[in-house]
Amino acid sequence: MEVKIRLFAFLQDQLGPSITVEVTNPVRIKSLLNQISQQAPQLSSTLANSRLAVNQEFINDEEVILKVNDEIAIIPPVSGG
Amino acid sequence: MHYLRISDAPIDVGEMYQQLVAPEYGGIDMFVGTVRQWTGKIETTKIEYSAYHSMAEKQLEKIAAPIEQQGGRVVVAHRTGQLVLSDIAVFVGVAAPHRAEAFKWCQYVIDTLKHEVPIWKKEYDTDKIRWGN
Repeated sequence: MEVKIRLFAFLQDQLGPSITVEVTNPVRIKSLLNQISQQAPQLSSTLANSRLAVNQEFINDEEVILKVNDEIAIIPPVSGG
Repeated sequence: MHYLRISDAPIDVGEMYQQLVAPEYGGIDMFVGTVRQWTGKIETTKIEYSAYHSMAEKQLEKIAAPIEQQGGRVVVAHRTGQLVLSDIAVFVGVAAPHRAEAFKWCQYVIDTLKHEVPIWKKEYDTDKIRWGN
């Protein structure tokens, strides 16, 4: 299944506002981030410290079931405040 | 009722303070974060903040909810867009019946915001551009 993933901050600077990725459920979050790292090695250290959000909620489990219409985002380390 | 805002609009401390004033509160603690010039030997000239707005607002709601349930009031405003030195990046204010809770909750809100709210800074330093901390 293909899903669209929103990107922010440094990731957005490098790859644009979103990417499309092929995934199979259940999705291991670490594997998903590694998959993107392989396509964009300059982002690997940022991705290694990033979290996944689905429908604007952080996913704290190792795996997640994604649906086509989910709002999926990779959240790099935040730096507000 | 809490007041949470993430926007390009400049933050007016007086206006934020007014949102915290009410007869049931006897202690108001406010934290104002501004753009700093020097971090050790690194000199910053400006900072650009961006946010995942809808999620950031939800995360702020989650931070404020337990405080409000315990009788406090939370006001948070965070800037996005380009800020120059000394501009206010963030305002956190908590009103509580007594000072101990006001201090404690205000620190909790700003500390949690820094870890859990999807807002990012792009720092323009004299040697290079840095994302985050």
